Amino acid sequence: MDKLREKVRNLLKDNKIAGYIGYIEAEGGHPLPHFFQKDRPEEVDRAIVPPGDARYPLDKLLQSLAAAYPEDTFAIQVRGCDERGLNELYKWGQLDPDKVVLVGVACPQDQADYCECPGPWASVIDYGEKCEPVLQSQRVSRIEAMAEEEAYQEWLSHFERCIKCYGCRDVCPMCFCKECSLEHPELMATGKVPPDSIFQLVRAIHMAGRCIDCGLCEEACPADIPLRVLYKKGNLLVKELFGYETGSPASGTSPWKFLGDEVTLETKPM
Amino acid sequence: MPEKEFEPKILGFFCNWCTYAGADLAGVSRLQYPPNIRVIRVMCSGTVSPHHVLRAFQKGADGVLIGGCHIGDCHYLRGNFMTIKRIRFLQDLLKFTGFEPERLHLEWISAAEGPKFVETVRNFTEKIKKLGPSRLKQVKAA
Repeated sequence: MDKLREKVRNLLKDNKIAGYIGYIEAEGGHPLPHFFQKDRPEEVDRAIVPPGDARYPLDKLLQSLAAAYPEDTFAIQVRGCDERGLNELYKWGQLDPDKVVLVGVACPQDQADYCECPGPWASVIDYGEKCEPVLQSQRVSRIEAMAEEEAYQEWLSHFERCIKCYGCRDVCPMCFCKECSLEHPELMATGKVPPDSIFQLVRAIHMAGRCIDCGLCEEACPADIPLRVLYKKGNLLVKELFGYETGSPASGTSPWKFLGDEVTLETKPM
Repeated sequence: MPEKEFEPKILGFFCNWCTYAGADLAGVSRLQYPPNIRVIRVMCSGTVSPHHVLRAFQKGADGVLIGGCHIGDCHYLRGNFMTIKRIRFLQDLLKFTGFEPERLHLEWISAAEGPKFVETVRNFTEKIKKLGPSRLKQVKAA
């Protein structure tokens, strides 16, 4: 933790950043997201890396800060997922990479196992040590192995619990649209719970090639819908069909952002 | 009373420049095809959002047929490049969730392919008839 605090302290002291978005140990030991600034240096002593079950969409906070203060540079604490999110947000023109400084965290093994995370560390590591990534999601494989009817019944049983709170969307660091088609009355029935069975599918489509697998949606969901499985599969399909690695700085633009110069896919036979 | 044969409702999204004109050609050529299809004319098949397709299924469509120009013939040059990306992705996602991907079909039909249009609609209608009412619809009824 000392290394991380020292880095933040130096960044603030040298005026490299306008502030640092991270976590603070609040009274009673609770970790809370916090914005550290130069004029309150003593707070940096309480800057922490929270345990895995206390995560907040810091990328989302950064987006609103960056929009309000476009000239300023901010530092942000990132896990592997948060950094993938930043990469994706750069690609979608939501953030300027020159105005973001990373304070990187590597997740412990139990967190990586819980998330089935393929990349549980940031490109700079200021806290923690690299652990073994989980390259294949058992949760996805389990559904893939099912017969279609069985998979349908399972998904339907989950979707029927939805209370349409929009928590998944609201917590999502990648949901930056000003208008949401899930709120369009012509496209999504209003005034009924559970919502249309396609609700989660629509979100899954929008998340493909965009979801950075932070898992906040699933943790926010009051109905315990396994959203993460759905979005993980979406990303797998995007990789399979278009060779696109979501959140990787190396894999170019999202396939949904440009038409392409050639078509390699073929229509499925009837 | 004998039970009536299942008559599926099929929704077609046809691009203005190719498939819709192909349907027109089928019409003026007096070619017969099943009347189960309801057509929505769109300016380009690339404007059809996966959300529109899912909405159609939610509202009780038993099948959705999307028709666009052949690759390279798009009136907007590359609009249909996006169509195939979206539809292939959606078909695979529907398969994963068990939402019957075979009820969604994409076919490139040019303005000159009246007979191909008829054949496609006929085959698709036959296929959907065999499949019966969609699972989503059964949920609604239950």
